[in-house]
Amino acid sequence: MAPTDHTSTLSALETVRERVYRPELLVAPLVIFELAFFVVPLLMLVRVSLFEQTTSGAYVAGTFTLANYQEVLFSSHFQEILFFSFKFAVLVTAIATLLSVFFAYAIWRADGMLKNALLFIVVVTLLTTLVVRLFSILIILSPNGPFNQLLVAIQVLREPTLLVTNLFGATVGQVYTIFPYTVLSIYSVLSILDWTKVEAARDLGATELKSFREVVLPQITSGILVGAVISFAWSFGAYAAPFLLGSTSQDTAAMEVYRLMVTRFNWPLATALSFVVLMVVLASVSLLFFVMDDNLGEAYGA
Amino acid sequence: MVRRRTVQTAAFRLGYGTMFLLLVAPLVVLITTSFAGSTSFQFPPQEFSLQWYAEFVQSQTWLTAVKNSIIVGTGTIILSTSLSLLAAFGVRQSDVEWVSRLVPVTLMPLFLPPVVLGVALLSFFGSYNLHQTYGSIIVAHALWATPISFLIIQSVMTQVNWGLQDAALDLGAPPLKTKFEVIFPQIRQGLFASALIAFIISLQEFIMALFLSGQNTRTIPVLAWTAISQMLDPIVNVVSTLLITLVVIALVLSAFSIGLNRLARQL
Repeated sequence: MAPTDHTSTLSALETVRERVYRPELLVAPLVIFELAFFVVPLLMLVRVSLFEQTTSGAYVAGTFTLANYQEVLFSSHFQEILFFSFKFAVLVTAIATLLSVFFAYAIWRADGMLKNALLFIVVVTLLTTLVVRLFSILIILSPNGPFNQLLVAIQVLREPTLLVTNLFGATVGQVYTIFPYTVLSIYSVLSILDWTKVEAARDLGATELKSFREVVLPQITSGILVGAVISFAWSFGAYAAPFLLGSTSQDTAAMEVYRLMVTRFNWPLATALSFVVLMVVLASVSLLFFVMDDNLGEAYGA
Repeated sequence: MVRRRTVQTAAFRLGYGTMFLLLVAPLVVLITTSFAGSTSFQFPPQEFSLQWYAEFVQSQTWLTAVKNSIIVGTGTIILSTSLSLLAAFGVRQSDVEWVSRLVPVTLMPLFLPPVVLGVALLSFFGSYNLHQTYGSIIVAHALWATPISFLIIQSVMTQVNWGLQDAALDLGAPPLKTKFEVIFPQIRQGLFASALIAFIISLQEFIMALFLSGQNTRTIPVLAWTAISQMLDPIVNVVSTLLITLVVIALVLSAFSIGLNRLARQL
C-alpha cells in the first residue's frame, strides 16, 4: 500500500469519527440515569397510588381507583397531618431564613481565619449525618442536659424542664437540620457580590444595618428565595427531627408516610400521601422559578 | 453616630459568635460523651474511658454497617463521578441548547424531601424485588451526589487551559490520549474533591437508605437511627465521633485541593 493511500484512509477515518462523535452523546448516560431512576420511580409512585389497598401484600396489581386520594384529601386524620406539616414548615422556614441571612452575611464580612472557621463549621454540619446531629440535640435538650443546666444556673428556669418531645424540640431540630443548606444557598450568591458597593454606601454615611438593607439585601434575594424554598420543601416533608424530638401527638406527613409504607405495608395510601406532599413541594418550587424569572427580568431587562 | 456604629458592630459580633458556638456545641458534646465512663448521658461526663470504643470494635452488627457504608459510598463515587465527568465534557463541548438546560433538571432530586424519593424508589425497586440491595441504595445516593459532583467538576473545568488540548490535537495526538494526558492532570484535584464529597453525601444520607436497606445492607446512619429510636445507645456516640472526624479530614483534604470557598459555593 502506498503511503498516500494510508494517510487518506486515516483522514477518511477522521472525518467519519467527526461525524459520528457528537458531544451531546457524552450527556446521554446522565440523561438515561435520571430517566430510569428518577422519572420512572416517580411515575411508579403515581401508579401505585392508584392501586386498590389490600391487607395481604403491598397492593392489588392491575386495579385502578381514586379512593386513596379521597382518603388522603378528605379524612380529618390526614387533613390534620397535612395542616400541621404546613404550619411546621412555615415556622421552620421563617426562623431558618432569618438566622441564615444573618450568618451568611457574617461569613461574607469576615476574612482570614475567622471566615474559614465560620464557613468550615457550616460545611462540617452539612456533611455530618442528620442522625448524629439530632442525637446530640437530644442529649443537649434532655432534662439533665447542658442546656437545662445553663438555664437553671442563670436562673431563667427554676428547675429542669422537658424541652423535647414537643413543638419546641421538633422546631430546634428541623431548623438545625436545614440551617447549613440555607446558609450556603445565601452565601453562594453573597460571595459574588461586589464589596466596593457596600463600602461606597458606608463612606456616604450609611450604618452597617442601613447599608445591608439597602445595598446587600436587594442583591441576594435570589439566594434567600432558593434557601427558603429548600427549607420549606424539606420541612414540609420532615421526618427525622419531628420523629425524634417532636410530640408524639403531632405527626408530620412524612412520619405518616413511613408508617404506612414500612410498618403497615399499605403502599397505595403511602404513595397517595407522598404524591400530595410532592405536589405541594413542586408548587413551591415552581413559584420560586416564577418569581426568580420575574426578578431577573427586572434586573436585566430594564 | 460613632457610638451607634460601635453598638451595632458589637451586637453583630455577639450574634454570629453565639451562632458559631451553637453550631460547635453539638459536635463537642458528642465527642466528649463518647469517652464517658458510664452509661448515663451526662454532660460533662463524670469519668472518662475508652470502653464504648472497645464495644464498638467488638460489635459484629456495627462492623457490618461500616462495611455496608464503605460499599455503598464507593459505589456512589464510581457512579456519580463517571456520570458527571462525561456530562461535564458533553456540556462543555456541545453548543446544542437543551444540553445547557440539563443542569437545573439534574438538581431536581435535591429539592424533593428524601421521604418522597425514598417512597418512589422503594415502589420502583420493590416491584422488581431489587430493594434491600446495595445497588438500590447506591442509585438513591447517586441521585444526590451526581448534581453536586457535576457542579464541582464543571467549576474546575472553567479553569482548564483548553488551548493545550487544541495544541495537542493539532500536533496529531489522538483525542482520547489528549484527554488523559492534557486535560486530566488539570482537573485531577477537582475530581478528587468531587469523589470525596460524593462519598460523604452517601455516608451521611439515611432516610432513603432507611426505606431501601434490609437487615444485611444497613448503613451506619441507618443502624444508628434504629439504635437511638429504641433507646440511647452509647456506641452511637463513638460512631458519631468517628463520622465527624472523617468528615473533618475529608473536608480539609478537599478544601486543600480546590479551596473551601469554592467548595462551599457548589454544595
